[in-house]
Amino acid sequence: MTQLALVIDLNVCVGCHACVTSCKQWNTSGAAGPLFDDNPYGKDPTGTFFNRVQTYEVGNYPNTETIHFPKSCLHCEDAPCVPVCPTGASYKRENDGIVLVDYDKCIGCKYCSWACPYGARELDEKEQVMTKCTLCVDRIYDESLPEAERKPACVMACPTNARLFGDVHDPDSEVSVAIREQGGYQLMPEWGTKPANHYLPRRKTKMHIHEDELVRVDNPLKKEDIRHKTTKDVTLDDWLL
Amino acid sequence: MKKAQFMEIEGRSFGYLALLGILGAIILVALGAWYVMEHHGHYVTGMNNAIVWGTPHIFAIFLIVAASGALNVASISSVFNKTAYKPLARLSGLLAIALLAGGLMILVLDLGRPDRLIVAMTYYNFKSIFAWNIILYNGFFVIVAVYLWMMMQQSMNKYSKPVGIAAFLWRLILTTGTGSIFGFLVARDAFDAAIMAPMFIIMSFSFGLAIFLLVLMASYRWTGRPLGDALFQRLKNLLGVFVAAVLYFVLAYHLTNLYATEHHGIEAFILRDGGIYTQLFWIGQIVLGSLLPLLLFYHPSWGKKRSLVGLGAVLVIIGGLIQLYVLIIGGQAYPLEIFPGKEVIESSFFDGQVAQYTPSMWEVLLGLGGMAVALIMVALAVKILRFLPTSLADEDVDPHHSA
Repeated sequence: MTQLALVIDLNVCVGCHACVTSCKQWNTSGAAGPLFDDNPYGKDPTGTFFNRVQTYEVGNYPNTETIHFPKSCLHCEDAPCVPVCPTGASYKRENDGIVLVDYDKCIGCKYCSWACPYGARELDEKEQVMTKCTLCVDRIYDESLPEAERKPACVMACPTNARLFGDVHDPDSEVSVAIREQGGYQLMPEWGTKPANHYLPRRKTKMHIHEDELVRVDNPLKKEDIRHKTTKDVTLDDWLL
Repeated sequence: MKKAQFMEIEGRSFGYLALLGILGAIILVALGAWYVMEHHGHYVTGMNNAIVWGTPHIFAIFLIVAASGALNVASISSVFNKTAYKPLARLSGLLAIALLAGGLMILVLDLGRPDRLIVAMTYYNFKSIFAWNIILYNGFFVIVAVYLWMMMQQSMNKYSKPVGIAAFLWRLILTTGTGSIFGFLVARDAFDAAIMAPMFIIMSFSFGLAIFLLVLMASYRWTGRPLGDALFQRLKNLLGVFVAAVLYFVLAYHLTNLYATEHHGIEAFILRDGGIYTQLFWIGQIVLGSLLPLLLFYHPSWGKKRSLVGLGAVLVIIGGLIQLYVLIIGGQAYPLEIFPGKEVIESSFFDGQVAQYTPSMWEVLLGLGGMAVALIMVALAVKILRFLPTSLADEDVDPHHSA
């Protein structure tokens, strides 16, 4: 069974919110109509966003680092929002594993919002139905788009390529390889919800350089340590040495 | 002890008409408030993406829980054969239906899309406890209506016991369902506890009887019919036991949570650091809603004064609303634990922070409207049908009365 998902590399995410704005742009222009905004240009803008970035700090000062954590619906394989829906408006597609809300069947009881442990449900405060990330289902199958663009808007927008998209059940897919080889993990796996989206952890990039690599054995200067007299004119050696 | 005589109230006095007028006006205002919320959307309310169930839900759940509790008085007579309560059984059944209707009115009008009620009635996801509740509520109306019929038509009286037992079992299942809406919430720290279902049942006993006692006092006082002290004291003592039982469940719930480290965050929030929620919990729920009523009910002299007992019942109702507010709004305000041990220092969308909620006027008005619907239904029904005994004087109802 196919399970489409996002893999987000926290090592390269810089928290620029490009995924947030591109998501909003694509989905507010979609068939379901504009996503609600309250006071968008005011002091405390709020509204419906399918994708959000949170920033948290790990460690104690001065040994701290900041982590930017983009979060949208994780398209759980055992999604807790699906069984709680009284009308079955919240459902998981069998063919690609995307969790969706049928906006025409949703009665707006908001119980799924209680059930989601990740806070990924977004109430459209104007339409009064529950919404959430669709993995850009209206985009990824759109054959009028060039094949390279049949990806979620957030994936297309990410300037650092922190977001990968693909089938996490296909062991040879780009996302599966990334999860396998770079320590991809799920958010709060202890809930047992089996989130399909994965995160690649922060990784320290370290190089081990031995001293003899700095002082080369075959360094001609080391042997003789004689610098030839140079002219007073500026030569290329002045810059190199 | 005589066989109870039931009689409609006259219902022509100025007071009665004024009562209908006031309740009707509250209902009209509530419908107007609903229209504002429906027309503009969720954002004119205090609710937001984090607090999705606001004040209307507090009133709705209170009334629904109280509805099943109001039926208890009838159950005590039919199921547990306490003859002293038999004359009260009809009012008990009526109040149960009326309170449920009021609660459901709020619940339905507070849905994002009340126009899609037909969808809720035709598509059932049987894995959803919410869908089960829809069935349980509808079934409760039917079963209590049949129960009232069995009690009120003399030739059917012989069936009132089996139907009464069925209604009693149904109401236990119904409140289990209501409590399980919260008990089945795995995702939230404040919930996901098996104690929710029994706690809601005992809460229903307390809230339902408090409303029953007040309606009984008001209707007998305003109609000038006698209400005996012995019966009144019995009901009052029973209410005191229920209030104490709720307190016990609240204690057990918090002690269990305090024992488990993973729940320390939510416990600290409710019991110590939660600002308005902490104040509401200690002052509203514990002192005003539990301890003070217990004092009023069981104080040797205060407990005999009807006005003070009535005040106690009012406090039980206010405390119950506050209890649900702390439980439901407080439970939502406490942020989800997505990054354990990490403090979210910045989120452009308020995630990881305590959610802010201020009830809007519209929400409160809709909630009060539901209460008014319940009361106006009772007021009209007792005028049209024979729900109230002509006398509840001790010599008429108390089997142990010695004149």
